[in-house]
Amino acid sequence: MTRAPVAARDLVLQVVDLQKRYGTGTLAIERISLDVRRGEFVSIVGPSGAGKTTLLKTVCGLLAPTSGRVLLDDKLVTAPPPEMVLVFQDYARSLFPWLTVTANVAFPLRKKRLTPSEKASLVREALDAVGLTAFAGHYPWQLSGGMQQRVAIARAVAFRPEILLLDEPFASVDALTRADLEDVTLRLRAEFGITMLLVTHDIDEAVYLSDRVFVLSPPPSVIVREIAVPLSQPREQERTRSDAAFLALRNEIHRMIGQRPERTIAP
Amino acid sequence: MRARRLLGLATIVVLLLAWEVTARVGNNVYVPPPSQIAVTFAHEWFSPQFAQEAVPSIWRLLAGFIIAAIVGVALGVAIGVSDTLYRTLDPVLQVLRALPPTAVIPVGILLLGIGDWMKVAVIVFGAIWPILVNSVDGARSVSSERLDTARNFGFSRLETIVAVTFPSALPQIFAGLRVGLALAFIMIVISEMVGGSNGLGYAILSAQRTFSIPEMYAGIVLLAILGYGLNALFTLLERRVLAWHLGSTAVTR
Repeated sequence: MTRAPVAARDLVLQVVDLQKRYGTGTLAIERISLDVRRGEFVSIVGPSGAGKTTLLKTVCGLLAPTSGRVLLDDKLVTAPPPEMVLVFQDYARSLFPWLTVTANVAFPLRKKRLTPSEKASLVREALDAVGLTAFAGHYPWQLSGGMQQRVAIARAVAFRPEILLLDEPFASVDALTRADLEDVTLRLRAEFGITMLLVTHDIDEAVYLSDRVFVLSPPPSVIVREIAVPLSQPREQERTRSDAAFLALRNEIHRMIGQRPERTIAP
Repeated sequence: MRARRLLGLATIVVLLLAWEVTARVGNNVYVPPPSQIAVTFAHEWFSPQFAQEAVPSIWRLLAGFIIAAIVGVALGVAIGVSDTLYRTLDPVLQVLRALPPTAVIPVGILLLGIGDWMKVAVIVFGAIWPILVNSVDGARSVSSERLDTARNFGFSRLETIVAVTFPSALPQIFAGLRVGLALAFIMIVISEMVGGSNGLGYAILSAQRTFSIPEMYAGIVLLAILGYGLNALFTLLERRVLAWHLGSTAVTR
């Protein structure tokens, strides 16, 4: 697959020959290279156990790569940079049950030098963007699963990152809530211009949300294919998902999942 | 709710009545009826003797418990967040917590005499282990997602401990404090019985030795009331501090 050359300043994230081995033991990621353009929505789709969470944690600087490197705005990532925020799958384990929704969303702002009123307005905007303003004074455990994940997303957005890393964020909620959360994420991207990097095992979700999809092999992970998603914007659940191009793409990826790349194909 | 509470109170009244009747029929000098104990109680403890015997016990108990709580929680969280400290100290903790704390009272008397500080010291020794062990467990069982979240947002190690680890561990810390309080109560009574010149434990034992039987029972009743009161205060504090935890576990149940 060929694509137009991209000016370096458009690349916000570059992952170069990344390898991750746990201790001296299993190889989780064999070799992954990918890049993400500013404002883009990129998904990495792969089977369960393909090292997707490991990949995101390494990209985020929470884990050190065994070899290879991650560049954010051309700077080497060695520790979690403030421009990247990771949203975990398990909201119940990542939110703080002793804090209200407002305090959870304000939590990361403790690390920003802002006046109390600036912080308050960031929190308000983030809660407003995910539609939780009415629940600001609640505790997370008083909310449904989908709403809790909205709190986690709002907390990430309030920090105003350039990139959101989403680790299967919609995997623990029911199908309707899931569609809701997908559209919330698309709106946030449009509203705040945040670049999105999502890992998921759900092919339809990856195609629905993304501009480009990387298909991951079973572990030790490599990238099987990079696929552009030329579906029209904005995406709409019913219309987009019944588009013939959508179906063709999801079927193509479906056939690829579980394969190793053919070595003969040049990158 | 009120009906339930009335039922519990009724049980106490019935038991006291049964005791009253049995004691009067049996007429055993070592088991006086509750009515007589009540009269002695009012006479003994609504008097300067309260300041002489009960107040020293209460302050030793509180001093010992508070020291055990502060040291136990601080040390426990530190051990819980550091793998090196945990591997170094956990075996020692497991041995020391298994030791019946009353066994160190003779050592305390040898080293510190029979004064106030011996009692405070043995209370600390008795109460600290459950607090320490629970704080270690609580600090170790914080979800990796919460820790990663704090790290992701640029929190330093110390900031993460204060803002994430400590509050996450609070439910377990409180479980440890509750057990510690009960042990502190046991330790104050025994340490005053073994090596004391005042205090409730001392008062109860010397009443027994001088055959002041109703006085002995009155002392025990005072201990029961103090224990109940302290526990009620502790529960009140726990409900305030852990309101979020009680709420979230009620939701999942």
